[in-house]
Amino acid sequence: MYGKGLRPLSIATVVAVAAALSLVFFYAPLDADQGFIQKIFYLHVPLAITALIGFVVGGVFAIFHLRSGNRRWDAYSYVSIHMSVIFGVAVLITGAIWAKASWGHWWVWDEPTLVSFLIVFLMYATYYPFRYAIEDPERQARYASVFAVTAGAFVPLNFMAVRMAQSLVHPRTFGTANGGLPGSMMFTFLVCLAAIALLWVTLVKLELTAKSTSGQLKRLRRALDAPAPSSGGSRIAPEVS
Amino acid sequence: MIGLLLAAAPALPLDEAGKYVAGAYIVFLVLIVVYVAIMASKLGHMEKELRELASFAEHRADGEAAAGSDREEVSADV
Amino acid sequence: MTPSRTAFLTILGKDLRAELRTLQSLPAMALFATTTFVIFRFGLDRTTLSGSLAAGVLWATLLFAALLGVNRLFVSEREEGGFDAIRLAPIDRSALFAAKATALFTYLLVLELVVVPIFALFFLGSAAALGPLLAVLLLADLGIAATGTLISSMAVQSRARDLLGPLVLLPLVVPLMIAATGASEPLLALGGPGYHRFGTWLAVLSLYDLIFLLLGWAVFDFLLED
Repeated sequence: MYGKGLRPLSIATVVAVAAALSLVFFYAPLDADQGFIQKIFYLHVPLAITALIGFVVGGVFAIFHLRSGNRRWDAYSYVSIHMSVIFGVAVLITGAIWAKASWGHWWVWDEPTLVSFLIVFLMYATYYPFRYAIEDPERQARYASVFAVTAGAFVPLNFMAVRMAQSLVHPRTFGTANGGLPGSMMFTFLVCLAAIALLWVTLVKLELTAKSTSGQLKRLRRALDAPAPSSGGSRIAPEVS
Repeated sequence: MIGLLLAAAPALPLDEAGKYVAGAYIVFLVLIVVYVAIMASKLGHMEKELRELASFAEHRADGEAAAGSDREEVSADV
Repeated sequence: MTPSRTAFLTILGKDLRAELRTLQSLPAMALFATTTFVIFRFGLDRTTLSGSLAAGVLWATLLFAALLGVNRLFVSEREEGGFDAIRLAPIDRSALFAAKATALFTYLLVLELVVVPIFALFFLGSAAALGPLLAVLLLADLGIAATGTLISSMAVQSRARDLLGPLVLLPLVVPLMIAATGASEPLLALGGPGYHRFGTWLAVLSLYDLIFLLLGWAVFDFLLED
């Protein structure tokens, strides 16, 4: 039963997001370097951290799938990665907005974290065509899990390599803005992180509930011997039943 | 105090910066709303399918009830 | 000798002999790389390269040539039922991974032994960098062999085979490319080979190789399940 617990979870998310937004705009002090633009970080960084953890979680679910053969873990893995890709889009867009506000360009190569994230995003974007190209559902699930594990191992390596590639001429601007965060900013940041993380979990659960419902409908249809539905099913998303 | 901070040359003047910050939070909101819209359309499909199945099941139940009562009548005649 | 080791040697031998006999992949890869160098000469409008430009041209070309080899790696297995044979045999299935990765590594090495001197001929002032460059090439080849074999074994059993391998492999090897070009750039500097952070980059390459060789070995069993 995926839907159980969805209500308290969403309520908690609403409360957390409301608290986070209030803190960002009414409590957190103005940054000396960046000014009002720094407020973007309360959104951008928690999104990035949550997305990255989501990718790793997707890899962990994939390991469970490979070891147990239970396709439910594959569904969890798929939805985790899917949600993290969506959050990733938000990370890149908010990152670009911040870059434009700070440097005048919509994209800069000077921020190693943002560049690393772009590469990770490109890697996981290939997850969809990869799944789509494998027809047999059982094999698709297995190969997708291998992909998720491989990509999970790739994430830290990628961050390390990109960071090392940065020339020492351009200091890490987010580093200086983040270094020695005053207590009030850190508190605000943590609340934002909790809110975004809760949002991720809620949306993943929502997605799994929708998939499960769809799966139950298929099951019902089969049990009733009813004819096939007018609209076809998805070829890449794993089924949950 | 705030005045001192503002005077310490932030990256953009406050009203300019405000647009970018607002833009970022709006993008976030829009993505969430788009997701809700997609889920809503999925829900609509599921409702339609469930309705089809329900009427199919009811038809079949009616058909069986009718066939059952036909059989009863036949046996009653005999 | 264990059955797995026998299987490893048999598969490796078969692949290398087949390549030697038919010469399907290697000449194509070498020709592709050489022509790409010519394209770069005109594309960049330069007749000599050094430093970051040289490293970039060399590694981008090697990578794209490697993709050709990666695409063809499991073709014989797919067409002649090699996957089923492995499934039926009472051996460690990772032996197939080891054999194929070794074969790919060999192709890459042979490719580079031909193509890197050509690169030096076309663009470099001296061959002084080629010695230390060999270390970088060896470590990078190991990484491409590991990831290429892993991805290729899955892509070959999919619908969009020639497209899927390169698509998934390219982002995966970005850290490897960063490290390889990072090490090569000072080597190919104008004034003679430099070794700025050479050890560090080699360490990154080794870490990459270790992680993906282990991963490929561990995971290959699941790829062949039926």
